[in-house]
Parts: sequence; structure tokens; C-alpha cells
Amino acid sequence: MTDWTLCIDFGTAYSKAAAAPADAWSRFEPSMVRPLMLSGHHHHGNPFLLDSAVFVDEGRVLFGRAAIARADALGDKKRMALKSFKTLLSVSDLDRALNTNAPLSIDPHRIFQMRDLIVLYLAFLLEAVEQACAADTLVAGATRMSRRYAAPAWRSGDSAGMHQVIVQLFGEAEAFRALVGKKLMSPDGLPLSTISSALPKALANARAMDIGLIFEATAAAAYTSVGLEDAGSHLIVVDMGAGTTDIAALARVGARTIELPEARVTMKQAGDFIDRIIANLVIENASWARSKDDQSELWNVLMRQMRDIKESVFADGRATLRHRGKNITLSMRDIERDADFKAFYKNLSEAFAHGLMVVRGDAVLRGQTEVQAIAVGGGAAAPFIQGLLKKKTTRATPRVVARPATPDWAHAREFQGNLAPVFPQLAISIGGALAPDDMLAARGGVSPVAAVRTDIEAAPD
Amino acid sequence: MPAAAKPKAKPPARGASKKGAARKRAAPAASLAGALAEAAWAEADLALAEALAYLDEAQGAGDQAAYADVLELVAQSLSRAARKRGLARLGKLGAREAYDANLHDLNGAGSRPPKTVRVEARGVARGGDVLVKTRVGRLGAPKRP
Ligand SMILES: Nc1ncnc2c1ncn2[C@@H]1O[C@H](COP(=O)(O)OP(=O)(O)OP(=O)(O)O)[C@@H](O)[C@H]1O
Ligand SMILES: [Mg+2]
Repeated sequence: MTDWTLCIDFGTAYSKAAAAPADAWSRFEPSMVRPLMLSGHHHHGNPFLLDSAVFVDEGRVLFGRAAIARADALGDKKRMALKSFKTLLSVSDLDRALNTNAPLSIDPHRIFQMRDLIVLYLAFLLEAVEQACAADTLVAGATRMSRRYAAPAWRSGDSAGMHQVIVQLFGEAEAFRALVGKKLMSPDGLPLSTISSALPKALANARAMDIGLIFEATAAAAYTSVGLEDAGSHLIVVDMGAGTTDIAALARVGARTIELPEARVTMKQAGDFIDRIIANLVIENASWARSKDDQSELWNVLMRQMRDIKESVFADGRATLRHRGKNITLSMRDIERDADFKAFYKNLSEAFAHGLMVVRGDAVLRGQTEVQAIAVGGGAAAPFIQGLLKKKTTRATPRVVARPATPDWAHAREFQGNLAPVFPQLAISIGGALAPDDMLAARGGVSPVAAVRTDIEAAPD
Repeated sequence: MPAAAKPKAKPPARGASKKGAARKRAAPAASLAGALAEAAWAEADLALAEALAYLDEAQGAGDQAAYADVLELVAQSLSRAARKRGLARLGKLGAREAYDANLHDLNGAGSRPPKTVRVEARGVARGGDVLVKTRVGRLGAPKRP
């Protein structure tokens, strides 16, 4: 097998990527699903997650985990790493947003526009993908690699327009990567001098990128139903990531999977929002932390451990944190009583109910009796999301069946139990790699690997 | 677009990155299963180490309240380690379930297994594999400590 498909999930907090044989959809074999170790070059942290972050330092620009570490080490409130830039891609006037200057806290030199920083990050991401592919014994043998990226169906009706802009950004990033190559992965980042000589060239000579677009929800449908004889015809997906919570519905019509756009909702509250609620609650209750310094110290301690805190709260209903020899306990109930959370939850359940109405309506029209519901993303295990999926509906048909965030195949023996715990977060990239071409929202072609894998010295084609 | 750079002499602190270069992940993802396991174990190891440290603290705790506080942390760290390795709890403490010899270990003596039992200690599973069966008791039987 030498034809492979690669899917990049450029997330608000983390980018992920996975590869699968091009015929995986029709001849599914779990062991051939390859999540890629985008952070394999780091010695700590999850190697499958590439932090979506850029830090503009004195004389250089740092990427990913190194960017976050550097910003943390500086501990300067006026200097920040650029994060969550994916949300920028969702605005209606994308060109204008990209041409905005980066804020001073991000770029003290006042030399970068948002577009520059995004292109730089994408180049880093493409290089990480490249190296991860080369390091994977199976993927490294690919002779052809067709590529797609996953994105939410942000703008109703204009995903084609958005796709063009993003393909252009990827093309510029690829051109930049061709000029700079492996240096992108240096833990010390790239010197500004390198960037200022290479970036203008790259922007002026974007490479033609063959990269398709798959909606994130469609990717979720793909991994849920791959290899299943009894895959449902209708599916509602709730994806709670870091930056957004997205609801989307899909219907299978013959061999095709279509999205039901009326069901689609994107909320700007997700993991990051829950983080702030938790941190504020803890600080409010910590009567001993009244001074600004104590509070900001506690805030930092909380943020560093936030993922573990959330995981415990979601799984066990509570989390305990030891700080200055004292236990601080926070429960899911505390969160549920918070006014901001309540407002979010109300919106979320209304959006879910609406989406469910749309997808059940479509199921009825097509003579189907079942709708499947699934949660994906880092927040998939949240009890308030799982609760929505399992909520009783007033009318009995079509019935709603909650599917587990981790499909049965991810428990296959060959993964030795270690894929399942990380699966929900990698799910979109995996589903995107498994999905057949007719599930794409916009097409890209197939490029021979020679063109995909361009090293610095490669002759121009 | 960036103007010509004015690189200042100060390089960024490298922190852990030097060490990182020396102890890069051993073999490059020879097997995906190996890489997944390594990643899961790295996180689980940390949680286990925490649990051990808290355990010492619990054993030295001066009073009941301090003991309970630390025990909570031991439990939390152990649960986290287990989750990282894909282990999940089976059932809910105190819940009534239909007795199933494949899933349940019945506490106490008795000739015939009852139809319904109460969960006294949750079992542990990974995917479809039950590693430790759920400990259950007969309804109405005195709860075991
Ligand atoms: N085990 C876990 N339990 C709870 N929360 C988690 C867990 N793992 C990750 N998260 C949270 O999930 C979020 C990241 O999830 P994910 O990688 O799906 O987001 P993303 O794809 O980067 O964002 P988006 O989809 O919004 O663009 C973070 O808020 C993180 O803290
Ligand atoms: Mg996401």
C-alpha cells in the first residue's frame, strides 16, 4: 500500500494530524490508522499534540511548545504568545483580519501582520507533519499522499471562499518551509533575520497546494461509522475543543454524506471558557488569596494544571489541588452553579435541541428511525455534554442513540489500551484521514510525494 | 511583512531544551503502539509518582482530617494514572445491578446467586476487557467495610 491520505486538524489550542491508507474506508484496518507524532521532537508532553502558539521574541520567533514555555518563562504580562489564532479564520472579513497588524503585546517589533504569523505557524505545522510522516515506519513508505485539513463549517454558504484563502495560506507556508526547512523545528525558533529574508519571498511565490477541506463534523462521522455494517444514517456531533463548541448534523444519502446546514451552531465558549470559570471560582473561594500577587500566583498554578483538573472534575465529579500545603477542592456542582456557565449551558442545550430537531426531521423524511449522537474534542467527556446526548426526547421516534466518544475499534488489541484515552482529541484528524473523497467539502488533488516532501535544497520544480 | 531584522544579542533562555536534545524520544516511532504506550506511560508515571509521595504524607498525617485530605489526593492521582492507561471504572458505588457472573464478584456466602446485587466496590475495565470484577453484595446484607 503506497497511497495514503493525510488530514491536518489545525485546532485552537492544539494541532493534530493523522494518516491512513487511501483505501482505508473500504478496507478498514485499525492498525493502519496512524496518528502522527507532531511533537515527537519534544521529550515531554503528549507527542501527538502540537501546541498552536507563536512567540515573537527579541531576535527570533518561537513555535509550539517552545513558544509557550518562553512566554511563561518571561512571565511578562505585556508580552504574550499568539494563541487561538484559528478563531481568526472564522471571521466574515477574513482578508481584512489577516492584514491587521499583530498587537503590540504579541509583536513588540511591529513588523508582523496576523497573516505573517499564521503563515509562519502553518509552515512549522507542515514541517512537523513532514518529520512525523518520515518517522512513522508505515507512512514513510507512502509514494503518494493526498492531503486535507479539517475546519468547522464556519460560514454558511461560503466555505468555498474560506477554503481558497486557507489554501493560499498553506501555499505560502509551504513556500516558506521550502526555503527554511528543518530550522523551523529548532527549539530556539527562527531568527528574525531568516524570517525577514524568506517570508517576503514565500508570500510572493506561494506554492500550489493540493489540499482538500473536510468539515470537522464530517470527519467525526467518518471515524464513527468506518468499518461498521450498521453505521447509522443520521448523526449529530458536538465538538467541544478549546476555542469553540460546534454542533453539526449529518445525513447519509446513498453513498454520500451530506451536512444539514440548518443544524449548525458554533459557540465561542469551550475549554478555554471552562478554564476561566474554574480559575475564577477557585480564586473567589480562596479567602487567603486576597492580594493581587497571591491571586495571580494561584491563577498561574491553576492554569498550569487545568487539563488535569478538568479531567478529574469531568470523570470523578471533583478535583483537589494542593497549594501551599492546603487542599482546594472544586466540584462539577460548583461549576454548574456559576452564572456564566449556566448561560453557556442554556445556549448549548438549546442549540443541541435545535440541531436534534433538524436531524430527526431529516431522518423522518428519509424514512429512518434512528439518529446517533456523538461528542468529540478535548471536552468530549464533560458530563454536561454526555448528559445532552443521553437526554430523553419527548417523542420516541426517531430514537436518539448516544455513541461513545471512543469507537470500539480504538480499543483494538494492537493499541494496547493507549489510543482510547487520547482518542477524542485526535478524533477529527483520524476521521479526516479515513473519510473517502466524496465526504470532502472542497476538493484538493493528489500530489506525488516528491512535491510534498520538499527539503531545503530540493531543486525547483 | 517583516522589515529587516535588528537582531539583538540576547538569545532566549533554552531552559529544558538543551537537555531535550540529549534525551530525545528513543526510537523514532518504530511502532505506533510503542509510541502511544510511551506517551501514555509518561503521563501515568507522573501521576503514580505523585500518588507515592502523597501516600508517604498520608502515613505521617497527624490527625484524621489531615489523613483524609491526603488520601483524597492519593486517590485522585491513582485515578489519573489509570485513566491515562485507558482503565475505566465499572458501575456506580451503591447501585443495584442485575447479577452477572462475568462482571461481578459476589461478597458473602450463599448457595444461589441473587438476581439483583448492590455494588460495593467498582470493578475496572479497559475497553471490553474486565481487569477486576465489580465487588457486589446481596441486597439487605450488612455492608462490608
Ligand atoms: N482529558 C481531558 N479532560 C478535560 N478536558 C480536556 C482533556 N483533554 C483536553 N482537554 C481540554 O480540551 C481542550 C483542547 O481540546 P481540542 O484539542 O479538541 O481543542 P482544539 O481542537 O485545539 O480547539 P477547537 O476545536 O476549538 O479549535 C483544552 O481546553 C483542554 O484543556
Ligand atoms: Mg478541534
